[in-house]
Amino acid sequence: MNNFKYSAVAFALIATLAACGSSGDDSSTPDPEPETGFEFAATEMITNLTDDVIVSGYAALATKGEEMLLAAQTLVNDPTQANLLAAQVAWKAARLPWEQGESHIFGPVDSLGIDPHLDSWPLNTTDLTTVLASGSGFDADTIKGWNDDVQGFHTMEYLLFGDGVADNEKAIADLTSAEADYLMGLAEVFRDYTKTLDDAWQISHDGQTGSNAYGEFVKNPGTEWNTIYASQVGVIEELINGMIAIVDEVGNGKIADPFGTSIDTADTSKVESQYSWNSLTDFSDNIVGVRNVYQGEFTGAADKQGLVDFVNAADSVLASRIGSEIDDAIIKIQAISGSNDMPFRQAILDADARVRVQTAIDALSKLQASLETDILPLLNEWKV
Amino acid sequence: MKTKLSLLALCIAGFSCTSAFAATDPVLLEQAIAKQEAELNKLKKDLAALAAQQKEQKETQDKQAEIVATTKQQNLESMFSKFSFKSYGSMNFTSDEYFENVQDTNPERRNRFDLERIVTEFGYQFTDEWDMEIEIEYEHGGTGASLEYDGFDEFGEFESEIEAGGEVIVEKAQLRYRPSDAIGVKFGSIHLPVGLSSMLHKPNQYLTVQRHRSEAAMVPAVWNEMGVGVFGELANFHYQAQVISGLNSEYFRTYDWVASGHQTRFEHVNADDLAYALRLDYGSFKQGTAVGVSYYYGNTTGNRNKSNKVEGDGTVSIATVAAAFVEGPWILRGQYMYGTLSDADAITQANKTTPGLKPGNFAQLGSKSEAFFVEAGVDLGQFTPVPITIFANIDYSNPLAEVETGTATKRYENTWTSVGVNYFPIPEIVIKAEVGLHQVAVSSIPDTNFFALGVGYQFSL
Repeated sequence: MNNFKYSAVAFALIATLAACGSSGDDSSTPDPEPETGFEFAATEMITNLTDDVIVSGYAALATKGEEMLLAAQTLVNDPTQANLLAAQVAWKAARLPWEQGESHIFGPVDSLGIDPHLDSWPLNTTDLTTVLASGSGFDADTIKGWNDDVQGFHTMEYLLFGDGVADNEKAIADLTSAEADYLMGLAEVFRDYTKTLDDAWQISHDGQTGSNAYGEFVKNPGTEWNTIYASQVGVIEELINGMIAIVDEVGNGKIADPFGTSIDTADTSKVESQYSWNSLTDFSDNIVGVRNVYQGEFTGAADKQGLVDFVNAADSVLASRIGSEIDDAIIKIQAISGSNDMPFRQAILDADARVRVQTAIDALSKLQASLETDILPLLNEWKV
Repeated sequence: MKTKLSLLALCIAGFSCTSAFAATDPVLLEQAIAKQEAELNKLKKDLAALAAQQKEQKETQDKQAEIVATTKQQNLESMFSKFSFKSYGSMNFTSDEYFENVQDTNPERRNRFDLERIVTEFGYQFTDEWDMEIEIEYEHGGTGASLEYDGFDEFGEFESEIEAGGEVIVEKAQLRYRPSDAIGVKFGSIHLPVGLSSMLHKPNQYLTVQRHRSEAAMVPAVWNEMGVGVFGELANFHYQAQVISGLNSEYFRTYDWVASGHQTRFEHVNADDLAYALRLDYGSFKQGTAVGVSYYYGNTTGNRNKSNKVEGDGTVSIATVAAAFVEGPWILRGQYMYGTLSDADAITQANKTTPGLKPGNFAQLGSKSEAFFVEAGVDLGQFTPVPITIFANIDYSNPLAEVETGTATKRYENTWTSVGVNYFPIPEIVIKAEVGLHQVAVSSIPDTNFFALGVGYQFSL
């Protein structure tokens, strides 16, 4: 009788424990909402950023590509100092939308490998000299078959501005006919690639007839035919990571690499756009590109939705802090030139200017840290 | 009560027995004793017979056990005689000067260690005619992923990590049918007889620390493909003829021409375009003195994953002429390799614009490519007690010898000239040292010096 009682008690205990255990697996209990969660309707922002910032930027680049080709043709037909200057201006004008667009180097510019065709760095001056010495066969089709380090922005820059060591001015007398011919071929190749890039965003992402424009993939995440973006979260993540990547590249690559650890280890051969002395403009344009994506419009245009609105929905203090950090980084880069308009390749060899360079690097590091640790995690708190 | 009754019955029974013996007379007793003795003797005899029989049995068993053991041993031995295992490998230290980028003309020195390769080769002779061979190579220490516990990461996390940057490759996996010396057939993943490195790739078969760089800048070094080949020897002629999987032009690059078109990066090898290889040698390069020619021919466009990007076949043809003179202390080997690629510009353009291929500055392809090497050595061991071979070597390669349109840059035209020693403490081990000069055919790129130390082994069971 006693045995039976004990057994019964034990059985009851086991049954109770088992019941408790199984209740822990009950999947019908809803997960608690994060307390810090925020709401934001992202469709308008994504559409706006795609059309008004990215696509509009590449369209501008394609237009500037056309103008660059025209300027080169004019220069070949009528080689005057004025036409050389006009071609230099056209080069800088094309440089602006490209550098600003580096804040969103994803999609076709990457997948179609267009970036190295346009902006390969450093320039292979050795091979370029050999090519120029051969003095013929500089049509666009031929040049397209050559390696990227003898074409694109920086080859045109070298031909237009000279070697950049003492100055960034070139006399028309120094422009050989082979250089002018090569420049014209390069400009045509350049125009073609900028058009391909623009078309990929607006007409067909892979150049095949019948396939969607890349812009449509970005604007319509999660739709049945969208094989690239499954959700708006993915699109916003791509945009934020694009900003982080260029801030990293400018701070830790473009500026810090030639800067070195001291004047002794500074290396001017690593300075991008050293022939035109356009380096600081390039760098600040890169961060202006970050601001374009963040604000949702180009500088001075009417206010539209940008990432700032997404951040603002979560934390208004953070939203304005990031805005200031971006502005600050741009100002600090521009300040490197000092009161005497010193180009970057000289600044890294100047003790006073090096202090300003370090200040700019610090501002970029701060911005990069904020984007990585404060902005990116907001995606987890967003109640999609 | 019952117990008591039983005891009484037992006592009565005992009495009756005793009284029966007591009643027998002495004659009867003697007879009984004699009878018992006779029985005892018989028993003893039987026992002795049994013992003898057992002894005999044991001897037979021992003999049998011995036969079984011998047979087992024989079986085991014959199994091993059918199984073969070979291995070779090398570890190097190199010190080269390198340039950071295309603008850089001030080289920096970089010293490196490399567990270059460990190769294991398993073979099995099924019958006199049929055998198989599988060669597995571990390059640069092999590769692997591992799971690590990181106690410092939040509450402790398991992380999967790639441990090493090397490769594990099945270099050869072939079945051979060889009814006679004059003819044999092999199939599977087989070595191509194009280029001497495919034949002479063990550390004691070449004099330089690393294999010949000239060949590596043109074709896959130790080139294996899937296919079928016939081979054999007649008089002192050795021949090979093969039909094998072709190359894929998507991965052709400026610096090594068609070498990286070797389809090793995918699970499956595209075989829409096949290739053909022929070789004829007089003498044997593996054994010493020989002269020989080889030819490779194959299309490549069909093997592209996006085959519609190139119009034209992208035909690769490669011809080699090689000679070796190995007599007494003298070693002299050399090879000239010449290749052509059709539709080189179309392939360059397609590679530049195919999403994901990203050849960057290495897209431009030579329509003609050439390479040669000559190595010469003297085995001082034949004159002195020290087993040392001294050598001189020259390697030249230009994968971009000519382009379809425009001018070919000379940046990829390289010459390596070196001298060195091979020391064999025992025949299976070689310790090498080499010092040399590397020249690029572009005048603004300065010549650089290199030196290298290496240790290699090879053995076969």
